[in-house]
Amino acid sequence: MTASFSRRMALKSAACGFGYLAFADLAARAAEKEKSPLAPKKPHFAAKAKRVIFLCMEGAPSHVDTFDYKPKLTADDGKPFSGSRFGGGKLLASPWKFQQSGKSGLWISDLYPELAKHADELCVINSMHTDVPAHPQAFQHLHTGSFQFKRPSLGAWTLYGLGTDNENLPGFVTISPPLNNGGPTNYGSGFLPAVYQGTPIGGGGFGPRGGPMTVSNIRNPRQTSTAQRDQLDFIQSLNRSALERDPANPAIEGAIESFELAFRMQKDLPKLMDISSESKETQSLYGIGEQNTERFGRQCLLARRLVEAGVRFVEITSNGWDHHRNLKDALANTTRATDRPIAGLLADLKSRGLLNDTLVIWGGEFGRTPYGQGGDGRDHNHKGFTAWLAGGGTKGGTAVGKTDEYGYEAVETKVHIHDFHATILHLLGMDHEKLTFRHAGRDFRLTDVKGNLVKEVVA
Amino acid sequence: MNPADLSFVAASDPLARPARASETCHRSSTAIPGPRADRLRLRKTVSVVALCLCMAVLVGTSTDISGQEPKIRPAADPEGAFKLGDTDKDGKLSRDEFAKLMANNPRVKDNPKAADFLFNRLDANGDGYLTLDEFKKIAELAPKKNSPGKKDFFKKKDQPPPTAAEPKPTAEQVAFFEKQIRPVLVSQCYQCHSEEGKKEKGGLRVDTREGLRKGGENGPAVVPGDPKKSLLVQAIKQTGERKMPPKSKLSDEVVADFEKWVASGAADPRETAKTAQKEIDIEKGRQFWAFQPTKAANPPTVRNIAWPRTDIDKFLLAGLEGKGLKPVADADPRALIRRLYFDMIGLPPTPEDVEAFAKDPSPAAFAAIVDKLLDSPRFGETWGRHWLDVARYAESCGKTANVNYPHAWRYRDYVIAAFNTDKPFDRFIKEQLAGDLLPAANDKEKAEHAIATGFLAIGPKALNERNGLQFELDVADEQIDVTSQAFLGITAACARCHDHKFDPIPQHDYYALAGVFRSTETCYGTIRFVQSQRPSPLLDLPDGSPSAITARLTDKERADIEKQIKDLQERMRQNTDPINNIFPAAQVALLRSRLDSHHADGTPKLLAMGARDKRGFGGGFEPKGPKGGFGPFGGTRTVADSPLYARGEPDKPSAERIPRGTLQVMTKAPLTIRSTASGRLELAEWIASTENPLTARVFVNRVWSHLFGRGIVPTIDNFGAAGQPPSNQALLDYLAVTFTNDGWSTKKLIRRLVLTRAYQLDSSFDRKSFEEDPDNALVWRTSPRRLDAECLRDAMLSISGQLNTEPPTGSPVAQAGEGPAGRPRFGGPGMAAGPNDPRNAHRSVYLPIVREQLPESLALFDFPDPNSVAGERATTNVPAQALYLLNNPFVIKQAEVAADRLLASSGTDADKVKRAYETLFARPPSEKELVVAAEFIDGYTKRVTKRSAWTAFTQAMMASAEFANLR
Repeated sequence: MTASFSRRMALKSAACGFGYLAFADLAARAAEKEKSPLAPKKPHFAAKAKRVIFLCMEGAPSHVDTFDYKPKLTADDGKPFSGSRFGGGKLLASPWKFQQSGKSGLWISDLYPELAKHADELCVINSMHTDVPAHPQAFQHLHTGSFQFKRPSLGAWTLYGLGTDNENLPGFVTISPPLNNGGPTNYGSGFLPAVYQGTPIGGGGFGPRGGPMTVSNIRNPRQTSTAQRDQLDFIQSLNRSALERDPANPAIEGAIESFELAFRMQKDLPKLMDISSESKETQSLYGIGEQNTERFGRQCLLARRLVEAGVRFVEITSNGWDHHRNLKDALANTTRATDRPIAGLLADLKSRGLLNDTLVIWGGEFGRTPYGQGGDGRDHNHKGFTAWLAGGGTKGGTAVGKTDEYGYEAVETKVHIHDFHATILHLLGMDHEKLTFRHAGRDFRLTDVKGNLVKEVVA
Repeated sequence: MNPADLSFVAASDPLARPARASETCHRSSTAIPGPRADRLRLRKTVSVVALCLCMAVLVGTSTDISGQEPKIRPAADPEGAFKLGDTDKDGKLSRDEFAKLMANNPRVKDNPKAADFLFNRLDANGDGYLTLDEFKKIAELAPKKNSPGKKDFFKKKDQPPPTAAEPKPTAEQVAFFEKQIRPVLVSQCYQCHSEEGKKEKGGLRVDTREGLRKGGENGPAVVPGDPKKSLLVQAIKQTGERKMPPKSKLSDEVVADFEKWVASGAADPRETAKTAQKEIDIEKGRQFWAFQPTKAANPPTVRNIAWPRTDIDKFLLAGLEGKGLKPVADADPRALIRRLYFDMIGLPPTPEDVEAFAKDPSPAAFAAIVDKLLDSPRFGETWGRHWLDVARYAESCGKTANVNYPHAWRYRDYVIAAFNTDKPFDRFIKEQLAGDLLPAANDKEKAEHAIATGFLAIGPKALNERNGLQFELDVADEQIDVTSQAFLGITAACARCHDHKFDPIPQHDYYALAGVFRSTETCYGTIRFVQSQRPSPLLDLPDGSPSAITARLTDKERADIEKQIKDLQERMRQNTDPINNIFPAAQVALLRSRLDSHHADGTPKLLAMGARDKRGFGGGFEPKGPKGGFGPFGGTRTVADSPLYARGEPDKPSAERIPRGTLQVMTKAPLTIRSTASGRLELAEWIASTENPLTARVFVNRVWSHLFGRGIVPTIDNFGAAGQPPSNQALLDYLAVTFTNDGWSTKKLIRRLVLTRAYQLDSSFDRKSFEEDPDNALVWRTSPRRLDAECLRDAMLSISGQLNTEPPTGSPVAQAGEGPAGRPRFGGPGMAAGPNDPRNAHRSVYLPIVREQLPESLALFDFPDPNSVAGERATTNVPAQALYLLNNPFVIKQAEVAADRLLASSGTDADKVKRAYETLFARPPSEKELVVAAEFIDGYTKRVTKRSAWTAFTQAMMASAEFANLR
């Protein structure tokens, strides 16, 4: 037996072989009930973005050294700054120069020479703000809209709202997620059904970060694929036999389907994760083959392969952005490791016609202070920071909102995390107030009772 | 939790359901130290303007619009009314046409502004015309007739509006307001500041006069005659910090109109408005079924007198007969015995057990097996685990710091022992809430009582909370949450920031409970570590208590550790940048915790998590620690009453102290609590009483749901108005009364339930019954169920013969000791082999339960999140489970060992297959199944070894749906 058994085939054999004709409409109802929760669903309204790649910069990158140009900060370098968290900080000019890039003339610092070439694709939100300047809370806030309670993640909500286009693959993949800062909560499904949670590749729940890029239990340590297919066919024959005994039990039917899906997944996923089939040119576009950019480049290329194959939501976490000290070297290193891969990702998506309907998100849990810490570092700053979006119906070449003259606090078109989430959902065709799930007697939302669409972001 | 919420049915079309912002709770924002401007308040305020007008519409619905015209009900039949009103047939209603249509209504006729106001409400795009779609919204403005909203069920009727002290506005002023002011408010502000917009950001509402006058959190929005003091004017001028509307600016003319309006007295004709909140009516609340005393009723009479075996059967059969249904046939003995074993002890029967029962399936034989299983130590491990779900048991603090609770396992073992010894459930409650305050006959009992209070200490905690008072309030909140849900099925913690939205629990009652828990010292241990800044003491246990650590700390080891500490401290002294000291400081904390966990003579200290009363009365609750930092604990050191905190915010205490106490709706007379006692004992006695209408009901319902797959009250943890009513209240009450009469004996209760004929029904399908009762609420059959995660894993171990039934002392977390949970971080020890150690052959209940790092074997199969009470588990069917069953080394190992056992057994290959079926499925295979199995094994053997083939065969059986499901 080599043919795989779909649920329909299994039902058909149960129906014809055993004379359960009357059972047909019941089966249809059971099937309706068991209708895959991952099946594609229509959004609330037509929208450009069909999928998401979230480039998460864990640790909070400095906005005043990257995307938020503050000439006044340079001018007032060394002057005391009274508004600091512990009082008495000294303003620290960015060690990097800013240039206007692209036709739009967006200001981007020298830390991102490659990305700057795509300035006209970027919609830079300079007026982000969040509630708490502590990593774990802010990181979970960014991912789930809450830090007090365990809530479903942005990716889980997206998958719940839209389903997935390729049921042979997980609908939500997170690449090298952190163990701390809330760990699995950041890609968890909370009270949503477990099927919406993110599947970690490398790091995360079941393996050390930076470990092998694998998915838990994706490979059989002993059997060949053919042998396992035989075994699976035997399992399914047992299951069909169980279904005959208990024809109205959706759990058995569900098992039949989920085994097939698992088998297809373990066949397709490792293939997708093998990037060696990509051309040399493509690989080098992402900076693969160079020491600095190898890791993040591979992850970005993998992300492209995944969304191309129909995965709804892919997140990549880049860590090491918490630059309390050693800013000059460390920030230069982290940006160098990500600049070319991100630029490569945007270029590759564009050349494949995917950027139009793929929303790329870049950002961390908060930003950093314009005043220095120990002369060569910056402290946490939740009052103002930068995130950017590209593709997927965003207005490229725009800067939305402003921080004050030093970049300390968002002052114009302020965008709270809830607003950010509302806007992302909007770009995907979902009204954040209508995307709800009933749990414990209440309808929950990603944005709780908050969130406003940031219209300036939408093309 | 409603099971439907977890099913994929609910998930299949998420976009179809509208949000109910008004039902959203705001607990999530209680501890945000940032701006709280957009916190909402309860939406109990009802704009009487709107109410009045809606009434008008309704009145119109019940009377003829005019003598000549046909009966039109605008709310009920908007199309008809629209057609009628559209006199010029242009497909829309002009303001005039609308006014004429509504003028037929006497109430509207008397109030010329009413039609105008309604029109403005309905004209969503503001083009001066109503389309049919806009007009249809009229139905939404009308309240449901005679059906108060669920959330208002317990609320008192609206108070009469406060008398308006302001002079009546002149016609000219009204005209100005209606023309220049109101339209702007509606179009620019309602979205975030009105009943209609379902928001009152910053606590501000602009859809009533009172709302504007009173203003929001920042003060009055409008001060008549003083535009400078009117925040509304300042905000729309956008010259200051506050800028409204958020993303645009009103024209200078409009701003000028507002200034003029305020300067001239801000005349606002919306005089019937009120903002006073409705109060909860406790008396009315007592009428709700769950707060009524249990009523012992005699079993009903049934038509089919031959069917019932017990009184419980009569209750069920009466329910079925009432719907014209009848129960399906009795279960096949093999399916029944398998079900019974898993339900009672979480393990499969041996083929010999099955065959013996198949030969003699008499009720007497069944009862004998039940008694045997009740006496098995495996019983407590299974039923104790059910309680651990409820008690959100875990061995780490979760949240940000997620450091170990190395002593939590003692509570786990206490629970298992309590079920094994059939500790009366009322006693079990009292020990968990107030064991430390109960008299103890000896040291052993004293230790047991102390460990029991671990119930209050093992919850998740934000040990990096900077505000000491906030932390104290959060710990008390978590205790209120778990106590009220676990024992009472009531979500009292919802009343932290506001009166409960569904249940008759005023915020006052919440703080009566908060006083009890804030007067309690929660002893959870932990060390000062990265992100963990709020350690507490632990409880000392008397000598003779078991210890997870047996090795003594030798003098050499001690000296060695002390030297390491000294070296690290020296290094830290030389560091100038405090950031460089984070790591060595963590090392020191870990090393010191090793010293601290041993007595001077090197023997390990015997410690437990738990609770004890604070000492003395008085003090009060003012924070004493330095603001914002991790100073000395800023909470309270003594027993005291708590103030009520407005919106749950620590910086908004009431002047009044709320006497420690309980929930009024279930209390006849207030508790008498000594001034120096926390009141936990009194609270525990109030809960563990036959007088309490909920305690016994909630517990028997929990037990019922484990045996029947669904609760009589399906929302296991919520018996309140937001939950679902019982499918058979007479039965629920009968069970509750019998249970307490039996001395609160869990074993007697379980025995009673499994000896019913209903429990022993087949799971076969019946179309008619299914149509009538698809959820099987009436128990016309046994609901098919999947094995839970523990059963699945334990069954594999049991079948492979690898199961180690000897309970371990302690846990891998206890062995790891203090420090970061799970994996090694910051030099922490981590668990020796991690939560997924395939060599761990203990029962699943003994696996380490670290928050956010659950063992894969449990997490994949719907083990509940130990951050909150979980009286029932989800059942998902996801590919990750299939991948685990197909590929996980633990599963393969169990299959291989089981295959080895099969191969070592005597007989032919067919005998071995038969043996496998009997072991895994508790039934012999059919002829066809024998053939299919033989074909598979033969075919597979051609490629690999015989052992591999049999392993693949056994693994397939273990992965199959029949193995994982109970019939």
